[in-house]
Amino acid sequence: MSVVDPSRQAGALYWPVQLRRNVGVRGLFAVVMAFLVAYGFLFPGLLTASGFAKFTQSWFPLALVAMAQAILMLTGGISLAIGAMVSLGAVIAATTMTGPLGVAGGAAAVTLTGVGIGAATGFIVVKLRLPAIVVTLAGSFIIGGAALLILPRPGGAIPEWLSDLLAGNTPAAFVLLVLIVLLWKLYLATPLGLSLYAAGENPVGAYRSGVPVDGARIAAYAISGLLCTGAGLFVAAQTGSGDPVIGTAFTLNSIAAAVLGGIGFLGGQGTMRGALAGSLLLSLMISVMFFLGFTPVAQYVAQGLIIIGAVAIPQFRKVQQ
Amino acid sequence: MTAWKETVGGRRALTILRSRPFLTVAIVAGVWIAASFTSRGFGSYGHLRYLVELAAVIGLVAAGQTFVVIAGGIDLSVAAIVTVSAVSLPLLSWQADPTGLTAVLAVLALTTTIGLVNGLGVALLRVHPMIMTLAMATFLQGLLIIIAGGSAVTAENPLVRWLGNARPAGIPAGVLLWVAVSVIVLAAMHATSFGARLFAMGANPLAATLSGVPVASTTLAVYGISGFTSGLAGVLVLGMNGQGYVGIGDPYLLASIAAVVLGGTSILGGLGTYAGTIPGAILLVTITALITVVNASPGWRSILFGSLILGLLLLSGREQARR
Repeated sequence: MSVVDPSRQAGALYWPVQLRRNVGVRGLFAVVMAFLVAYGFLFPGLLTASGFAKFTQSWFPLALVAMAQAILMLTGGISLAIGAMVSLGAVIAATTMTGPLGVAGGAAAVTLTGVGIGAATGFIVVKLRLPAIVVTLAGSFIIGGAALLILPRPGGAIPEWLSDLLAGNTPAAFVLLVLIVLLWKLYLATPLGLSLYAAGENPVGAYRSGVPVDGARIAAYAISGLLCTGAGLFVAAQTGSGDPVIGTAFTLNSIAAAVLGGIGFLGGQGTMRGALAGSLLLSLMISVMFFLGFTPVAQYVAQGLIIIGAVAIPQFRKVQQ
Repeated sequence: MTAWKETVGGRRALTILRSRPFLTVAIVAGVWIAASFTSRGFGSYGHLRYLVELAAVIGLVAAGQTFVVIAGGIDLSVAAIVTVSAVSLPLLSWQADPTGLTAVLAVLALTTTIGLVNGLGVALLRVHPMIMTLAMATFLQGLLIIIAGGSAVTAENPLVRWLGNARPAGIPAGVLLWVAVSVIVLAAMHATSFGARLFAMGANPLAATLSGVPVASTTLAVYGISGFTSGLAGVLVLGMNGQGYVGIGDPYLLASIAAVVLGGTSILGGLGTYAGTIPGAILLVTITALITVVNASPGWRSILFGSLILGLLLLSGREQARR
């Protein structure tokens, strides 16, 4: 620590940089806050401990898959296998945790599967140069098939204490989310994390500057896989059992949340806080529609309209300026 | 030995032999020959005709998809549009018209309009194609359940029935329709200025705009075409099935994209041809038929399907190295 100046300078720059990165998502934050306040007024239960716990639990899996999609989109990739990965995580958790492996073994199996499949997908996309959208579309069939093999019909079980811990009257989901965000911050400070934006924004330039582009992209796929199977584990704990198709809706919702949060399709554009806010907004909309008595069908219609509107209006204003 | 390669004809023959559409045709031929030796009845005329008939539906959906992908977009709403077409046609069949043509035209107009709305969103509102068409698919899915409910609807339309069941000169009407559409699509893609604009736009949208390509109207057109051909596929699948139900179009999303990519069209746009998509569609149907022969559980079937597509992609779908 003989050279103090650079680190102090970096420290002094940290908050101004973070503030600047908020610029793009300030409008979104305002909308989310307005929605939260309105939601709090409509359903005062939000402010009680159990209401808060339930609300964060309904948001948590969506937040995880939004992060999983966002990290890929930041590197210029995309995954259409998010839903299948969530299902696979759920069935692995539901079949292993009450078996001889126990909760720790089951959690390890879920983790290894997520990282392994994610890294394999990343390897195929990056090293074999196949388009991500087609690989993950084909992958969704393979992964979904594997989930069907492990558990052909809904069943399995999650130990009751684990369900109570994760999805009972505890703020465990919120604590976990804070932890994951902190880990993300730490990851961004590692060499691979630093390469993430560069690899997405300008892969050729980054490669020529010595950035480990391929490594950063494969690592992103691995992390994304881990987040998805983790979300699956949580969903299984929520429902107390496994279901081989429970994750299907998460594919569209993860893309919608990331795009609502300002993540661009071309890579390197957007911030993780934006994706999280986007997932919170989507989760709020789904809960509000549910409480207002919309049928699931009407929810589809409204969701389609809202997503187009939310993405189109800012673009439209940009064009007009 | 190398002398023939130097002649004009020889060079042209080499180009064809090395092209991706030809590679896909070769794979199809190889799979068909191998399968007819190992599986009894696979190589019979009736079975192969049935495969091509099934491929016609995928081929129609993939026709529009090829246009969209070459122009640099993607259409994830094709499955929903096929369903819209197959479900709304029986509801529209008026008794006044004995041929049923008006109902078919009305449905095609409807699906083309849906495609045009996609195009409007992409071209004017600047929504990313993936979001626009996924949201459109979500929207249509909800709307369909509201309109049709969960029950299947039977088609009474004579034209639709003819399309699904008739065999003029021993060839299924659906295959004839596919051939006609293929000729028009190939001509539009490779012999008109519209086709040239398409490739320019997909290769580099900015350069195309600066060179005077009307990007907005071309985008509108490709999504409109995609809506039209998906609607046509819906009419055909309704005729072959006899009944339309919500979810009838679901298999055609992956199938259309896979057919396009297996045929050597770059998913990034600007490169490709419908001539590759045609064998791509037949290849997909062949794979599905082979998996059915294996008689595996749904899980294994799904794994096999995904793995085979992934394996075939390695043969024909790789992008160029970036550096």
